[in-house]
Amino acid sequence: MDHILDEIVRAEGLRKTFSLSRKQQRAERSGQKRKTAVDGLSFSAYRGEIYGLLGPNGAGKTTALRMLSTLIRPDAGNAYVAGHSILTEPQKVRDSVGFLTSDLKLEGFFTPAYLFDFFGGLHGVEKRVLAARKEELFARFGIDRFADVRVRDLSTGMKQKVSLVISIVHDPDVIIFDEPTNGLDVLTAKVVTDFLAELKGMGKSILLSTHIFSLAERLCDRVGILIDGKIAEDGLLSEVAGGDLESHFFALYRAMKGDIV
Amino acid sequence: MKLAVLIKKEFYRFFRDPRLILTLLLPGLVIFLLYTVLGETMGEREAPRYAYRVYMEGSPQTAELIGDAAEAGGSTVEWIEAADEDAAREAVKQGEASAFLIFSEDFGDGGTVTVVYDALSEESSAFYTLAVSVLEAYGMRFGILPENLAEAREIGRQVSQGILPMLIVCFIFSAAMSVTLESVAGEKERGTLATVLVTSVRRRDVALGKVIPLSAISMLGAFSSFLGVALSLPRMVGLPGIFGGYGALSYILLLALILSIVPLVTSLIAVLSAFSRSVKEASAYAGVCMVLTVVLAVVASFLPAIGNWAFAVPVLGTVVAMQGILGGGAFVWQSLVSVAANLALSALFVFALAKMLSSERIMFGK
Repeated sequence: MDHILDEIVRAEGLRKTFSLSRKQQRAERSGQKRKTAVDGLSFSAYRGEIYGLLGPNGAGKTTALRMLSTLIRPDAGNAYVAGHSILTEPQKVRDSVGFLTSDLKLEGFFTPAYLFDFFGGLHGVEKRVLAARKEELFARFGIDRFADVRVRDLSTGMKQKVSLVISIVHDPDVIIFDEPTNGLDVLTAKVVTDFLAELKGMGKSILLSTHIFSLAERLCDRVGILIDGKIAEDGLLSEVAGGDLESHFFALYRAMKGDIV
Repeated sequence: MKLAVLIKKEFYRFFRDPRLILTLLLPGLVIFLLYTVLGETMGEREAPRYAYRVYMEGSPQTAELIGDAAEAGGSTVEWIEAADEDAAREAVKQGEASAFLIFSEDFGDGGTVTVVYDALSEESSAFYTLAVSVLEAYGMRFGILPENLAEAREIGRQVSQGILPMLIVCFIFSAAMSVTLESVAGEKERGTLATVLVTSVRRRDVALGKVIPLSAISMLGAFSSFLGVALSLPRMVGLPGIFGGYGALSYILLLALILSIVPLVTSLIAVLSAFSRSVKEASAYAGVCMVLTVVLAVVASFLPAIGNWAFAVPVLGTVVAMQGILGGGAFVWQSLVSVAANLALSALFVFALAKMLSSERIMFGK
């Protein structure tokens, strides 16, 4: 590396357990009343890089990102985002982070233009700056064509574009995207991945979760492979994958869990 | 500043949605139409001709107009000069006379006309309605003072005292439910509230950003329903008007009581909504609370000698204070205590709501 690494996200032993309903207990077939979603997660991500959390469904990726964006609190451990503790300075963390996940929805009654201004206002973005940013981002994603159409009347791809620009309305240092291309058609997915690369080019630090290995190989500088809530391996993409991330993941999975099915 | 953004959004959401406005204002309109139609139907059924005997003190030309109007309707009026006010009142009370009109000396140049009648007598009530309609048509340069002699002068008072506070509480509850359930439980259910929680806005501001505008909107809905009753009920029960005979202080105290109970009910429903997983669940909880509150209001109406401690109990104190005011009492300190109790509990609910918004078990628990 020809630049000095500046740690922008540091997770230290994050742990999160959830209690299971009877229905969930039956589905899990474990008989346990609690499930550990994230178990001692530690990793570092650096400024200007894209860090990918990889893993199958249920590995704990979303839970980890929700803790980092302060939407939920860890049972143990801590994390620092842009130098702020998620436990003691959640407000400052939220100011520094743009979080995109499918769990966070936009009210269908409003238009993209109104929601952009609304969330800009909640982040305290100055009106003049907000207007310039809206013009730029809406043009970049083609949202200007449906800026005044109610969100409920938009397609899934359009909604995802609107969610994306709203998540970064306040020009955050750290961008956390949970499965950003899920459910999108190939064209919209391409727009999103190109934009992630563009954001990286602008010096932004990005943390994304995905189970699409090709996406990680194309975008990420570093990856962490998450299996059963634990980081099985992490590091620079070239170090972890050795050229083939997918094969490496399956090898790791077999070593830890046995058969894939 | 961020609180202002949240408040503005709630108002925008409401006033840009005709369906929401209709949902909120419809009960008032329906009540007005229903009661008016009932009132008119009853009025049409009871349109007999009377031979009125009316005592009068002072004799301006206006009396002749009343006589002409009565004759136009097929009735007759026999005017009797009142030598003794008490005797004239007694005659009305005993049913020997239809009414007693007292025109003040300066009538015609300001002044007043007192209409003494008996609301329990159909004939007397019919004359009262006729006289008031003629007097109102004559001009507004004098005051009309209704004086209902019936034992059930209490009718009006009872309607006002017994039913009105309960109706007001019901209206506030139903208005608050129609907007708050959707705005809090609905947003939680749809995942749009979480999108706000991921911004750096404080939870307290999110809570206040819901309770303040929703209270204002609920007030609008409650006022619409209240107006529906106020405009139609007198016509239905043949009373001079629910608001007749109350001074400015009574109105101010009533307004303060209503203004304090709206945020209380709104914040209570907001807390229940935040606690619930869906709008359906929240409306079930809110429905139970509404029934309990109405029961409390009804119980309060049947407790004539309720202690002063009741004024410190939110809702109960408000109902008792309203009943006292509508019964003609001053009830100043009692109202102030009740307003303070309501606002204190509202603040507690807002605090609880802010805490709940911070709780992942409540906000994100499946």
